[in-house]
Amino acid sequence: MLIDNLTGYFYSGLNSPNILVSILFVIIYAIIISILMSVFAYVFGWVERKMIAKTQYRHGPTYVGKYGIFQNLADFIKLLSKEKMVPGNADRFLLNVAPVLLVSITVFIIFLIPFSPYLQASNLGLGLLVIFVFLGFTPLLLFVAGYSSGGKFAELGAQRSVLMLISYEIPMIIVVATVGFAAGSYNLNSIIRMQSTLPYAILMPIGLIIFFIAMLAELERPPFDLREADSELIAGWLTDISAPYYALALMLDYTRMFMGSLIIAILFFAGWSGPILPGIFWLIIKAFIISVFIIIVRVTVVRMRIDKILKLGWMYLLPLSLINLLLTLIIVIL
Amino acid sequence: MALTRINIGPVHPSTHGVARLVVDLDGDTIVKIEPHIGYLHRGVEKLVETRMYMQSPPYMEKIDYVAPMAMDELYVATVEKALGIDVSEKAGYARMILLELQRIASHLFWIGSVTNDLGQSFTGFMWGFRDRDIILRLLEDATGQRMFYVNMRLGGITREFPKDFEENTIKTLAYLEKRMKEYENFIEKNPIFIQRMKGVGVLSIDDAINLGVTGHVLRACGVKYDVRKNNPYYNYETLNFHPKILSDGDNLSRYRVRIMEIEESIRIIRDSFYKLQSAHGNMVGMPVKLVSPKPVNKIAMVSREAPRGEAMMYLVCDDQKPYRLSIRSPTFINLAALNHIAKGHRLADLFSIFATLDMVMADVDR
Repeated sequence: MLIDNLTGYFYSGLNSPNILVSILFVIIYAIIISILMSVFAYVFGWVERKMIAKTQYRHGPTYVGKYGIFQNLADFIKLLSKEKMVPGNADRFLLNVAPVLLVSITVFIIFLIPFSPYLQASNLGLGLLVIFVFLGFTPLLLFVAGYSSGGKFAELGAQRSVLMLISYEIPMIIVVATVGFAAGSYNLNSIIRMQSTLPYAILMPIGLIIFFIAMLAELERPPFDLREADSELIAGWLTDISAPYYALALMLDYTRMFMGSLIIAILFFAGWSGPILPGIFWLIIKAFIISVFIIIVRVTVVRMRIDKILKLGWMYLLPLSLINLLLTLIIVIL
Repeated sequence: MALTRINIGPVHPSTHGVARLVVDLDGDTIVKIEPHIGYLHRGVEKLVETRMYMQSPPYMEKIDYVAPMAMDELYVATVEKALGIDVSEKAGYARMILLELQRIASHLFWIGSVTNDLGQSFTGFMWGFRDRDIILRLLEDATGQRMFYVNMRLGGITREFPKDFEENTIKTLAYLEKRMKEYENFIEKNPIFIQRMKGVGVLSIDDAINLGVTGHVLRACGVKYDVRKNNPYYNYETLNFHPKILSDGDNLSRYRVRIMEIEESIRIIRDSFYKLQSAHGNMVGMPVKLVSPKPVNKIAMVSREAPRGEAMMYLVCDDQKPYRLSIRSPTFINLAALNHIAKGHRLADLFSIFATLDMVMADVDR
C-alpha cells in the first residue's frame, strides 16, 4: 500500500544513523502532526457546534461557508484582531507564558503517540509513563494561569482544579498501571500489539469506564468543567484572558480533547491496529468516535459539585480501580 | 481563614438579568449574601400616577416580562374592583385559560434556566424554549401578540377567542403532556441532577412563613397556600383542582412542585374550556377610553397567584387617575429569603438555589 510504503520510508528516515537526516525528518514529522492536530481540532470544533445544535433543536452555524464550516475560523480571526487586555494586578509574565506552555505540552504528548506502526517520532520503552508525567503538568499550569490573572473568579477556579486533581489522578494512574501489567510493557506499540486479538475495552470494561471518567476530569469537560463553570465563575481562568490568548485557549480545548481521545483509543481500543485501512486512519476514526461520546456527555449532564467529585473519586473510582487491577491480574495470570 | 468577598453580577451569566450579589466566602463556603437590587428600577408605581387608568397596562406587562399577562390582569382586576365593574362568567373562564397558558409558558422558561444554571450547556434551556414557543403561539392566536399582549379590558378581554383556538389548545396540551415525560427522563432521572438538587437549599416551614415567601417556594415547604384555592377569584372555585405541595423544602421539591403545577394547569385549561361552552355573559370587555367611570371604592386591593408567587396590587383612587399604586411583587419577597437559605452552602449551590427561587429582576425592581 502506498501509505504504508511512504510511512515505512518515513520510519527509516526518522531512525536514520545520520543525525542531520534524522533531524530533518523529525521537523517534517512535527509539521505533519501539527497540521493533523489543527485540522482535527478545527473539524471537531465545527462538529461539536453542529452536534450540540442538533440536540437542542437549533441549526448551529450556517452562514460562514457551506454548513457554517468556516464559522470557527471567522471567530478565530475575530479574536486575533481584538485588543489584548491584561488586568492591572495580573502577573503578566506567567499569564502570557502559561497558555503557550499548555499548548506545547499537549503538542508534545501528541508527538509521543504512535499514529501507525511506522509513523511515530519515537518508540520509548516507557512511553506511556512519559505521557502521564507530562499530563500531570497541565493542571499545575492551569492553576498558575488562574492565579496569575489576579481575578477572584479565576482564583476560585484554580482552587477547585487543585482539589479535583487529587480526586481523579490516582484512579487514573492505577488504571494505567493495570494496562501496563496486562501488556507486560509500558511501550505504546507493544500495548497496541497485545490488543490485536482482544482490546482491553473487553478485557477490563471497568477500567475503561474509570479511565473515561478520569479523562473527562483531566480534560475539564462537563460534568467536570468546574474551573470554567460558565454559570458560576463566568469563565474561570479564562475570565481575564483576552484576544490571542483566548483564541489559543479555545484551540487548546479541542487539541486536548484530541489528545485524550488518542490516549483512550490506544489504551483500550487497540490504537492503530485494524483491518484493510492504514493505521493512521484507524486511530483517527477511533479517536473521533470517542470524542463524539465526550460531546454527548457534555450536552446531557449538569455540572457536578466539587465535594461530590471528591466523593466519586475516593469512594467509587479508587476502590473500583483496585478491583479492576485485581481482576485483570487474575485473568492475565490464568 | 480570611473571608473572600466576591461580587457576582450585575453582569453575570446566571443572575437572571441584573441581580448583584455580594458574597462573603470562607474558602468555598458561603458566609453571607447581600443582594443589591435596583439596576432595573423603572419607577412603574410612579409612572402609573401620571396616566389615566387604562393607559397603564402596557407598563404593567413589563414588570414581569416572563409572565406579562399575569401582571396585566392583576392591574386590570384592581381597577375593575375600584370602579365597581363585574367580570362575566364567560370572560372569567377566558381569562383563566389565558392565565394558565401564561403560567405554563413561564414555568417552561424556568425549567430551562434551572438546567442552564446547573451547567447543562443550554440543552434544557433550548428544550424549554421550544415548548414555551408553542404556548406563545397559542397566546398570539388569542391576543394578537406574542409576548406583551395588553389583552385585558375592563370587564373582559379584547376580543373573542378565534374559532379553532380550543381545538389547537387541546392538541397542544396533549403534545405538552408527552413532552413532560421527556423532561422527566432527561432531567429528573439524571443522578447528577438529583445530587445537585436533593437536600440543597432547605427552607423549613417556620422560616418560610416568617420570611413571607409565596408560590412554589412556600408550597415546596409543605404549606398549603395557593391564592387560587384559599382566596378564589373568577371561577376557580367551580373547578376541581388541588394546589400541589411537597414537604422537603429543598431545591428538588421546588422543581417538582413546578412540574406538577404545569400538569395541574393543563387540567385547569381543559376543564375551563369545557365549562366555557355553557357559560353566560360577554367575553369582550369595554373598549379602552381615556375617561372611565367614576371609582366606586376609594381603595382597592387584589391578590393573585402569579406564576412566581402571590402578587398584590393596592390602589388608592383619585378621580380619573390612580392616586397611588403599590405593588407586592412575589420575587422581591422571595429574594429576601436567599441569604437565609444559601448560608452555609457551597458557592456552586448558590446558583442552583437562586435559580429555583425563580428570580425575574424586572419584577424585583419594578
